[in-house]
Amino acid sequence: MALRINLYHEVLKARQLKRRDPLKLSIYGLSAIGALFAIYYGVELGRMHAIGSELARAQAEFAQIDPKAKAAKLREDEMNIEIRKSEIVTRRMEDRFYWAPMLEQIAQTVPREVQITRLTGDVSGDTVHKCTVVVDGLSAGSDPRKVAEELRTALAEKLGPKYKGVTSNFKSLEDGTELVLLDGKQMATASFAINLQFITGEEAAPAPVPRKKR
Amino acid sequence: MKLGKEEIQKLVLGGLLLIGLVYVYFNLLLAPLKKQQAAGRQSTAELGPQIVNAKGQLKRTAELERTFSERTTVLRQVDAMIPEGSPVAWFPTKVGDFLKRQGIEKVTTKINTEAAEKDMPGFRRLSWGIDLAKVSYSQFGNAVCALENEDPLLEIRTLQIDASRDDAETQRVTLTVNNLVKQ
Repeated sequence: MALRINLYHEVLKARQLKRRDPLKLSIYGLSAIGALFAIYYGVELGRMHAIGSELARAQAEFAQIDPKAKAAKLREDEMNIEIRKSEIVTRRMEDRFYWAPMLEQIAQTVPREVQITRLTGDVSGDTVHKCTVVVDGLSAGSDPRKVAEELRTALAEKLGPKYKGVTSNFKSLEDGTELVLLDGKQMATASFAINLQFITGEEAAPAPVPRKKR
Repeated sequence: MKLGKEEIQKLVLGGLLLIGLVYVYFNLLLAPLKKQQAAGRQSTAELGPQIVNAKGQLKRTAELERTFSERTTVLRQVDAMIPEGSPVAWFPTKVGDFLKRQGIEKVTTKINTEAAEKDMPGFRRLSWGIDLAKVSYSQFGNAVCALENEDPLLEIRTLQIDASRDDAETQRVTLTVNNLVKQ
């Protein structure tokens, strides 16, 4: 068996030691960790870039749409004012109190034994109208008070079906001093004032609740 | 393997370098980046609903615009019905001419009060006193009927009919009417 002598063992040992140098190994390790960190940082930078792009796109879209939306809001407010005005004026026209039918009904109710000397009417309220009509006149007949009473009830009955809460009361009823000629006969007279009150129209619907701002 | 003093020093130095690297990486590089990402995400998220609202506003306005003309027809008609100029100049003439067509002469129209319409910007309400010196009841009734039907902006608030002592066929009538006019 041949004897082998390693004459370079010192050189080899020195090489081995150099290869296992802790500083060198540490630098390698640090470099590897640094490379991993750099790769991760690069990934995060890419993500940041995507987020930035998304934000820029959203900002651009918002910058484009926001002035239009503000202008649209102003226009919407203007249109709502005009629509509301239109609704109010329509309601007012439709809810007016019409005097002509009432005057016609009074004319139909007054008998020939009665002469109206004064008729005053007053209406108050915009949607619900409270009407007051005072009819002053002279009634003639064998019992002029009864004629006046019949007129009072006839007025209430005539206006009752058309208007709400009709009341008909005497403000005054007095025997007259003068006599009148009716159907060729002298008749006694009575002066009266009938107070008619009634209600027309309906309460306006409550205004819509404004939409909550988001 | 036995480490010498010099190698231990090198290892300690390497450890310190590693700690420094980790600290710098996480605190000075990664943390601000993460913060920026979070801020960007939040800003994008905040803009989302605003964009949706703005689009909704545009849609609502377009929808309203579509029905606007139809819903304001009455207002346009009313606008066209009111003559230009001061009402004192045209209203008494208009009423006088109208009643003349109904066969009623001797009409006096005077303005009583004037008030702004709080619910209707751009409009005001005028109150007028109209005096009809001599009119028969049926003639007056017909005139009131025609007036109420032909002029929807006019509303009779009070009326007084007094029988004439001299002429049993005619009465004196005083009306108070409200009229809607432009500002």
